[in-house]
Amino acid sequence: MLTFVGLGLYDERSVTIAGREAIAAADRVVAEFYTSKLVGTTIETLESYHDTEIERLDRQAVERGPESILQAAATSDVAFLTAGDTMISTTHVDLRLRATARSIQTRVIHGTTAQAAASSLTGLQNYRFGKATTLPFPYAHGGDDVPQSVTETITANQDRGLHTLVFLDIKADREEYMRASTASELLATVLDDETVAVAVCRAGSPEPTVAADRLGALADRSFGEPLHLLVVPGSLHHMEADALTTLAACPAELVEPSH
Amino acid sequence: MGRRKKIVQECERLMDEPEHIRNIAIAAHIDHGKTTLTDNLLAGAGMISEDLAGEQLAMDTEEDEQERGITIDAANVSMTHEWEDTNHLINLIDTPGHVDFGGDVTRAMRAVDGALVVVDAVEGTMPQTETVVRQALREGVKPALFINKVDRLINELQEGPQEMQQRLQGVIQDVNELIRGMAEEKYEEEGWRVSVEDGTVAFGSALYNWAVSLPSMQATGIDFGDIIEYNRSGEDGIRELKEQSPLSDVVLDMVAEHFPNPLDAQPERIPTVWRGDADSDIANQMQAVDEDGEVVFMVTDIGMDPHAGEIASGRVFSGTLERGQDLYVSGTAGTNRIQSVGIFMGGEREEVERVPAGNIACVTGLRDSIAGSTVTSVEMTPFESIEHISEPVITKSVEAQHMDDLPKLIETLRQVSKEDPTIKIEINEDTGEHLISGQGELHLEVITQRIERNQGIPVTTGEPIVVFREFPRDASDVVEGISPNRHNRFYISVQPLSEELIELLKMGDASNDMPELERREALMEAGMDKDTALNVEHIHGANILIDDTKGIQHLNETMELVIEGLGEALDDGPLAAEPVEGALIRLHDAKLHEDAIHRGPAQVIPAVREAAHNALIDGRIALLEPIQNVRIDVPNEHMGAASGELQGRRGRVDDMYQEGDLMVVEGIAPVDEMIGFASDIRSATEGRASWNTENAGFQVMADNLQTETIMEIRERKGMKTELPVTVDYF
Ligand SMILES: Nc1nc2c(ncn2[C@@H]2O[C@H](COP(=O)(O)OP(=O)(O)OP(=O)(O)O)[C@@H](O)[C@H]2O)c(=O)[nH]1
Ligand SMILES: [Mg+2]
Repeated sequence: MLTFVGLGLYDERSVTIAGREAIAAADRVVAEFYTSKLVGTTIETLESYHDTEIERLDRQAVERGPESILQAAATSDVAFLTAGDTMISTTHVDLRLRATARSIQTRVIHGTTAQAAASSLTGLQNYRFGKATTLPFPYAHGGDDVPQSVTETITANQDRGLHTLVFLDIKADREEYMRASTASELLATVLDDETVAVAVCRAGSPEPTVAADRLGALADRSFGEPLHLLVVPGSLHHMEADALTTLAACPAELVEPSH
Repeated sequence: MGRRKKIVQECERLMDEPEHIRNIAIAAHIDHGKTTLTDNLLAGAGMISEDLAGEQLAMDTEEDEQERGITIDAANVSMTHEWEDTNHLINLIDTPGHVDFGGDVTRAMRAVDGALVVVDAVEGTMPQTETVVRQALREGVKPALFINKVDRLINELQEGPQEMQQRLQGVIQDVNELIRGMAEEKYEEEGWRVSVEDGTVAFGSALYNWAVSLPSMQATGIDFGDIIEYNRSGEDGIRELKEQSPLSDVVLDMVAEHFPNPLDAQPERIPTVWRGDADSDIANQMQAVDEDGEVVFMVTDIGMDPHAGEIASGRVFSGTLERGQDLYVSGTAGTNRIQSVGIFMGGEREEVERVPAGNIACVTGLRDSIAGSTVTSVEMTPFESIEHISEPVITKSVEAQHMDDLPKLIETLRQVSKEDPTIKIEINEDTGEHLISGQGELHLEVITQRIERNQGIPVTTGEPIVVFREFPRDASDVVEGISPNRHNRFYISVQPLSEELIELLKMGDASNDMPELERREALMEAGMDKDTALNVEHIHGANILIDDTKGIQHLNETMELVIEGLGEALDDGPLAAEPVEGALIRLHDAKLHEDAIHRGPAQVIPAVREAAHNALIDGRIALLEPIQNVRIDVPNEHMGAASGELQGRRGRVDDMYQEGDLMVVEGIAPVDEMIGFASDIRSATEGRASWNTENAGFQVMADNLQTETIMEIRERKGMKTELPVTVDYF
């Protein structure tokens, strides 16, 4: 059995009780933190919290050589852990498909994810989000400073009045996490810098920060420790406008509910 | 005022009169007498003393040049010469004849407008004669001919006037064949054919300091009979001849009369060597040799002066070089400040205030420039890169013997590659074992010797090994490459490029930085079909990526990564991590993840690299090895031994014929087998053979040697000594 366990958003305590029980029941526990990371904890803390050894896998081991995981899962219970939810932005469906192809039983135990937080902390309705996108560090992709696909995703959503969730690049192995201010600065080079955006920082922690303002203004602010993400709102429902002013300290002149 | 000072002043005056300037190179097969000629021209023009000239080869200033009796570095000299009552400034470059130093010839041709081709009357046109003529014509440089060592026809071969004239006619014909073959239009229509009647041919003896041409014979009344007469009557006769018809007057008259001045040459040459906007101000300034225009200086040579440091010399095409100017150096950021400006007087550098357009100048202060840089006062399209005809074929490792010398060795090696772009240096700071690749054994020997002698760094060198390439012999099927996260797929096939296209790419005649339309035309002219040419995405070495996909979302922002992955696959081929050449790679289709982060470098690069390698293997990729044309001149009785030497080296004899009292054996052999040829042929022929080699590109190695050679290379590189299982065709 291969159990995919999402560890949630922030620290060792963000996991669900079902997730915790699955980890406790597993014969072998593996985790990957290269796509995302629980910034509020360490692997040692996780291990002592769950009272088990956690094998940390690098990209190579998951993408190139998942053999040993699959073999173990064929005969015993393996728990595969990631931050957030294992199937959302971390895209581990491939591993699940490989397991299924070998008739290994699988199940998914959800963790809450940035996608949920983006909606939940900002008050922007999840019904009104369009395609999401990731803003990579300029050095990490081949193109210009902001990949055209990122700009296109945002503007296409805007045209349809939809919000865009912009994940910010994480290079966990290099301890590099893009900040909301950097992201705002980058996006201001391709979007109108009057564009309003919402920075969502440290979702899942006891003290998350949520701030809405013009990109130009966000670029000048400092939002503290990672992880951050950015939401570029589309048109605003009146409840959403209220939420942004009340919960995200959005300057009133920037929110004009359209319906 | 000293004599030298006076000459310098005269040169400085003439520098401002482009109509009275000639920039020329002397080029020839090895030992045909270029340096002797240069020396005696200088002596005749009063630039060096007559005692120094000739036998001592004053222009071969380096210790190793004197020892080896050959020219290694091209040498710049300037002299003045009066023609038709007007003084002329002649800037001349003496080039090396040994094939290993051919890069110097190629670069010199960029700086000049005329090439004085020297041919030894006894030997006739030889392999390097052909090469230097080609180098000149490629650059749009006009040839004229000096047939040297005519004294030998008289004294050694005892030829009479009739025989002599016949022989000379033969040489002229051969040279004209070469010119016509390479530049037919100029030959037929622009008077680039050399001929006695036109005065573009002179004969004589560089060593004994006399020469004749049709105009000189008409003026002096000396005919072939007289020449023979003078030569046969001992020293007095020769003295008489050289007084009646001095080498420098005859040759420099020909130079002044028949080579174009910069005003005539630059409008023709600029379009050949520069691809910038032909209607721009800067194009006009260069064509007009405008000394008040923007500075455009093409560096063709970098040398080291023990006192002044690095010296960059080359051609000023526009503007005026002066100390204190901040100039852009192509390919680098920012500017360099000119510390001093000079010209070459005789063989020595002479600082002057300024050097205007149309001249050959030398400057210090351009620390970022390399041989081949374009140096300018405004940022502009650089000149075409100067591609040498032959790529490096042989490699040697060098290691400092003492730890303390490690940094200095690296610095020296970097300097070497700045000075000589036909050298390739691979620095390995981890192991300290650096690789130098060059044109031949002698090339590498000279460089390592100079490192030891001039820099005082004792080094240990490895055995020379040849450079290999990998080449797909067949068209492959379409191969799928899957990214590690399996969210991205690339569909790639390869096919071999034609020889003509490979040549085009190697000479840089179709490159990434060319305007698209122009590049497409060049490719189509070399035989690429239109649909393929329309989809050219990238050129990597002698390989081309064709993007045959249509409207795939996000591919444009992934293309850089595709190119990077492909570059990795091509730099380290699948067989032995040697560079791949001659592959046309088609991208047929791609499936990409929606989000940029899941199609980043860690995904795309390995997927493309793997697909490219698999496609290359499916195209039956094989090792290429460098080969050489070999010509051996040998007395009849040793001919069997000589051709045996060639055949015993996996070589092939293509032709054997008589020339004078010698037999000529021509053929090809792999460079690898030619290592050590010098001593073997000497002992096989009792030292009676003379021989020439010339790099002749790469050739697929025989199948039965492939696996063994690949394993040797893999072992040397510390790779697994095991081929991918799909390589099952050797
Ligand atoms: N008999 C005779 N010998 C000559 C003449 N010109 C040059 N030589 C001899 O030919 C040999 C080679 O002359 P160089 O001037 O060094 O020839 P080079 O073309 O500069 O040689 P590389 O630079 O090494 O290619 C020397 O021994 C010269 O003395 C000539 O006119 N007659
Ligand atoms: Mg010489």
